[in-house]
Amino acid sequence: MTDWTIIRRSMTGRMFSTVTTVLTVGVAVALMLVLLAMQGAGRRAFERGSGNMHLLASADASPLVAILNGIFYANAPRRPLTWAQFDRVARSAPWEYAVPTQYGDSFMGLPVLATNTDFFARFQPNPGSAWRLREGRFFEAPFEVVVGARAARATGLKVGDTIHLTHGAPQSRDLGDASAVAPHVHTEYDYHVVGILEPTGGSHDRALFTDLSSAWIIHAHDRRVRENPGAGRTTQEHLTDADRLITGIYLRLVTRAGSDTPANLPQVFDQLRRDATLTIAQPKQELDRLFLIVGNVNELLVAIAAVVLVSSGIAIMLALYNSMEQRRRQIAVLRVLGASRSRIFGLVTTEAALIGMLGAVVGIALSAVGAAAAAGVMKTRLGLDIDAALPPREIVRVVLIAVALSTLAGFVPAMMAYRTSVAKNLRPIA
Amino acid sequence: MPTHALQIRNLAFRYDAPGSTPFELHVGSLVLGAGEQMLLTARSGGGKSTLLGLICGLMDPLRGTIEIDGQDIHDLRGAARDRFRGARIGVIFQTFNLLIGFSAIENVLAPLMLSNIPRGEHQARAAALLERLGIERPHAKVEHLSVGQQQRVAVARAVACKPALVLADEPTASLDPENAGGAMDLIQGICRDTGAALLCVSHDPSMAQRFPRQERLDALSTQGANAS
Repeated sequence: MTDWTIIRRSMTGRMFSTVTTVLTVGVAVALMLVLLAMQGAGRRAFERGSGNMHLLASADASPLVAILNGIFYANAPRRPLTWAQFDRVARSAPWEYAVPTQYGDSFMGLPVLATNTDFFARFQPNPGSAWRLREGRFFEAPFEVVVGARAARATGLKVGDTIHLTHGAPQSRDLGDASAVAPHVHTEYDYHVVGILEPTGGSHDRALFTDLSSAWIIHAHDRRVRENPGAGRTTQEHLTDADRLITGIYLRLVTRAGSDTPANLPQVFDQLRRDATLTIAQPKQELDRLFLIVGNVNELLVAIAAVVLVSSGIAIMLALYNSMEQRRRQIAVLRVLGASRSRIFGLVTTEAALIGMLGAVVGIALSAVGAAAAAGVMKTRLGLDIDAALPPREIVRVVLIAVALSTLAGFVPAMMAYRTSVAKNLRPIA
Repeated sequence: MPTHALQIRNLAFRYDAPGSTPFELHVGSLVLGAGEQMLLTARSGGGKSTLLGLICGLMDPLRGTIEIDGQDIHDLRGAARDRFRGARIGVIFQTFNLLIGFSAIENVLAPLMLSNIPRGEHQARAAALLERLGIERPHAKVEHLSVGQQQRVAVARAVACKPALVLADEPTASLDPENAGGAMDLIQGICRDTGAALLCVSHDPSMAQRFPRQERLDALSTQGANAS
């Protein structure tokens, strides 16, 4: 027989009330944990896509749109850059790389990015770690395709497969733009899968990658058929400047070892921006701006979760308050048997804290399930690979807050117990 | 070792209930020797519960002293007074006031847990007491025991800490006459065995023959009123 026995009996004696209260706290803690996990994970997933690039150049309407289209494949950019523009940008500064990209084709609804070999050799999807292949090799010639990890899983593609791309991105149908090409499958051009990538955790995992000239050839073929329905097979020789279009340029300046922010970045950024035909985006800055907008929503959600957590504290208070009416006699007896007021106070607050702690444990378990479900939704709806694991420090913090709140909620009923009049509550029942 | 289990001197208590005449209690002198057994009779509303509350240190007197085992309980404050009460005074209630939801042995362990008695002794002491008092199912919840068995658990709990003084508040009022006699035998016997003094408050006339010493509360009060 210890204080613990008394607390345990009190909790098991009102099993329904205890379980519902624990669940209430559990749901609140889980909600809080999932939202916090999503907040961090969402941002990390977004940051992964831009990798080690410093700047992104495109002809999109705004830098944020450039980022969303150029890195996250939101829509196929409607305004292209010419090869002459690419040349000009590539010569404008001491770049470590200037990788041309073109997003306009798709395969089974997945984006296809046409680029050159620098994309794999120089651009790092996660700063500090280069692309890795799970199978095969990177593309080396036109009409060779490398498949992102999630795209491979979604389509079941493997090295050696032959596929036909859809000219026109999956979303271009919705643009209502007369100049946009109606999506159509180019069965006359076989693409060969030569490599499958390891996952990067970013947006590129759901894309397929091919050589720029293959995209240009398909575009040129469409033009030639438009001009002459009987035109034959299009090859590199048929390409004109009007076909050599790209939609984005991934840029990285030469940096000193150990530093990722070159001193000349602001200067180069300003210089490039003077060209009105270009939109220059700094991915980090744009993501900060994006999260400033999204962040408000996030804060609101976390605030709601906080309110739910507080109301779960009120539920504890209510449950213990109601139980006090039944426990007055027990408390009075314990007092006669030698228990001090503060010990009685401690018993009730410990019970409240214990409910909070059990709730937190339930909450962690629920949040693991909830975060996995939310990550699944983010994956299928937004194509973001979310690592929803919350750092243990955050979990400990939320648990401590839940326990502290519960203990606080126990103060009112504990005060009732503290003040219980022994003489009054031990009178024989008349 | 003090020779008095209970010594009350010039006790005065007053309670002003709103809207009614104030309640007053006076006890000039009441001394109970170590191991002595006494019956205190009181008319209903005569201040019996108040006196017990004062002796237990659950209420504070206007003036006067109440010493238990040589210690004025009202000199102690807060937790110290609670612990002293638990260790030196055993209380047997008319309605037993057992801890519902707890087993018989847990009810006896409760005062031990709240005392300074080393934890290692608790279990053996409680088990021995229950066996001696004839509790057949020490691990059964008290609400599942017969009234007679519940009474025995209440008695065991009252003497678990080897108190100097046992207060019995109408201990037989919940029992039929047959069981009442047995219960009183038990209470008086165990108090004798443990050396505890017994102050039994009752208005049951059949009690009189059991106690060589009897007092009337109103007589003590008058005496006190005259003294002051």
